Amino acid sequence: MDSFSVFKISASALDSQRKRMNVIASNMANVHSTSTEDQGVYQRKDVLFEATPVDPKGKYEGVKVKEIVIDNTQPIVVYDPAHPDADAEGYVTMPNINIIEEMVNMMMATRAYEANVSAFNISKELFMKTMEIGR
Amino acid sequence: MDNSFYLLENLIHFTNKRHKVIASNIANIDTPDFRAKDLRFSKVLDKELLALTDTHDRHIRSESEKFNKNTTTLESNLIWADRNNVELDIEIAKMTENALLGEASIKLLSTRMRMFKDAVRRR
Repeated sequence: MDSFSVFKISASALDSQRKRMNVIASNMANVHSTSTEDQGVYQRKDVLFEATPVDPKGKYEGVKVKEIVIDNTQPIVVYDPAHPDADAEGYVTMPNINIIEEMVNMMMATRAYEANVSAFNISKELFMKTMEIGR
Repeated sequence: MDNSFYLLENLIHFTNKRHKVIASNIANIDTPDFRAKDLRFSKVLDKELLALTDTHDRHIRSESEKFNKNTTTLESNLIWADRNNVELDIEIAKMTENALLGEASIKLLSTRMRMFKDAVRRR
């Protein structure tokens, strides 16, 4: 019986979008982190989603975070001689994070999350109605 | 006894399956390379409602498959930058429509059951 797999599908999407939100929040928090524990400047991270079957037959696909990838685009270099992490010429390497881009991604994650919540609720309604057969 | 029980049971089954397919599309809205899927309904109608009884060998038979085995199909319309073609608004609309169809068939089935109960009770 895989009647409830529809909830697993929606739940997997909620979980994945939440993980994406965590990554985005981490990017936003580190927008000015010029150093990390392993010395270098903070590098922007992003999630990679992958469709994954929720039932043994693999007919219905949920989603999961395949991996958290590191964005290797060039860091932003700004001139700020007073900064403690500035190099000899006074340039500081800032993370490759565009705060507007992160905001847009966060809004998209929120919308996707909301869409899955409504899908979950519609499934629930349908199940409740099914329970009423013969009443 | 008519085949309305059988038909409605199949219809409820179909809406449940289609619901899962649409939920899966919504779940994968940001998955690269994912293609939206759907179940087709026309073949069900053809097979179950419009099928004619063939009384002669040379009558043309319906070629449609049984809808339980009706496979999910790919739709290709527009493709986003991540090679994904899920359109959220369309999926939500489809899901609402499908849920209403499911509710309607459940209601019909309940009504049908009540009619039979009434027929048995009131001699």
